[in-house]
Amino acid sequence: MECKYKIEFEEGAAQESVTYILVSEFSLKPNVLKAEIDGDGSGKMLISLKGEEDDIVEGMEKLKSMGFKVTEFEGHITHDMDRCFSCGACVSVCPTRSIYHDKGTWIVKINTGTCIGCGSCLGACSVKAINLVI
Amino acid sequence: MVINVAKTYEEINEKIRAKKAVVYTAEEVVDLVKKKGVEKAAEEVDVVTTGTFGAMCSSGAFLNFGHADPPIRMTNILLNDVQAYGGLAAVDTYIGATQMVEAPKTGYGGAHVIEDLVAGKRIHLHAWGPGTDCYVRKNIDTYISLDDINEAYLYNPRNIYQNYGVATNTSDRTIHTYMGKLLPKMRNATYSSAGQLSPLLNDPHCDTIGIGTRIFLAGGEGYVSWQGTQFKTTVEEVNGVPVGGSRTMALIGDMKQMDAKYLRGLDITGYGTSLAIGVGVPIPILNKDVMQRCAISDEEIFAEMVDYSLPTGRTPMARYNYAQLRSGTVEYQGKKIRTSSMSSYAGARDVAETLKDWIDNGEFLLNKPCLDLPKEGKLKGLKERSE
Ligand code: SF4
Ligand code: SF4
Repeated sequence: MECKYKIEFEEGAAQESVTYILVSEFSLKPNVLKAEIDGDGSGKMLISLKGEEDDIVEGMEKLKSMGFKVTEFEGHITHDMDRCFSCGACVSVCPTRSIYHDKGTWIVKINTGTCIGCGSCLGACSVKAINLVI
Repeated sequence: MVINVAKTYEEINEKIRAKKAVVYTAEEVVDLVKKKGVEKAAEEVDVVTTGTFGAMCSSGAFLNFGHADPPIRMTNILLNDVQAYGGLAAVDTYIGATQMVEAPKTGYGGAHVIEDLVAGKRIHLHAWGPGTDCYVRKNIDTYISLDDINEAYLYNPRNIYQNYGVATNTSDRTIHTYMGKLLPKMRNATYSSAGQLSPLLNDPHCDTIGIGTRIFLAGGEGYVSWQGTQFKTTVEEVNGVPVGGSRTMALIGDMKQMDAKYLRGLDITGYGTSLAIGVGVPIPILNKDVMQRCAISDEEIFAEMVDYSLPTGRTPMARYNYAQLRSGTVEYQGKKIRTSSMSSYAGARDVAETLKDWIDNGEFLLNKPCLDLPKEGKLKGLKERSE
């Protein structure tokens, strides 16, 4: 299975140690979707994990015990359907083709599962209907 | 036997009043005409409804605030810190969609003031005047809402463009235009017409649409008040419709009837503010020629792609129909280009369907135009002279 987590940390070099632990101790396949690190070394990263369900749960427990804040999330993007008027301006700027027109209704939708949080669509939307969680 | 259908406005309105009119949207009628043929369809259908919901920059509103006690002749007017025109009578103003909020604020403009008013929000009015013997007051600082001002009507000098270009970017950097975010090296292209649903593509020579035509304007009733600015009839036609921006309409409508669902204040990155409006025009099926033109489909309507990275001399690079554009990708010299629409097809459909419901329910009668739109119009450029 595949799950996504937001991992927040207070210290530097966390990115390497986190992925190392997940690979070597829990046989998981981590994919860092996005990382933000502040000057003092603290920061957060969005990570997608592939592996057995038990391994994922245990891996996350381990990170928590090491002092990381771990939150599971579905997508790292929010789409305000009241503001959005389905113009479609954002559709062609998404590198992962996560934004699409529903073929029946032509309403614009976002597949939060494949969104990598790159932010390319944010400036394309003239009503600020899309926001990133991170 | 060929039946020569000819209906009048009166006959159609009679049917609407009796809730017996047969109404189709411009999208639904495509299949009907294919199936039954234009003669039969013209006999059966009374009205075709069209719709579009996209940015229409040349839009704005006339407002009358009413007089305070003591009264003021406003010459400098701010609405939520957006400048409104101070050159009309004492408490009249015009607020334009593209007027931006005073710096350092950003991301808000006249279009948002209009949307907020229609949404029922209070707007901060701050105005100054010279102070005269008849209008002694020099400033006022208050809040207004749509309910407590006298008149509020949209008057848009140029709306519902008959077709428009397709924008792309051949340069090495992303550019931000009123046609949206254009990625480098032609990685995407944007277009903005509702195609087969678009009002002026269904009556391309304005045989039925004229001055006085009653329309759907942002959820209320509006009218075509004049030809729009930059009205032109000189663009090449394919399948009877122009392949680029051509005719336009000036529209008017009471804001107090409108629904904020059909208005969006836009903040277009790198360009400024604009107003997206839902507009629908009913087309009376007076005869089979009118029916034939309403049956046009996305496959038959073309638009030309131009390079927005060029400051001037944007010559057409390619021509695509709206079915291709709407498919999500078009090809240019063997390369795939992803496409995005700037106007909402879902919104255009909503407008056309809502207008259809109004007519079905006998709530909306057609108004016969009192004056034809010009049969010809040419575009002039601006000359730079020393005197
Ligand atoms: S953030 Fe990037 S990946 Fe996610 S929807 Fe927007 S453009 Fe697509
Ligand atoms: S650009 Fe904004 S308003 Fe347009 S479809 Fe995308 S999210 Fe919706």
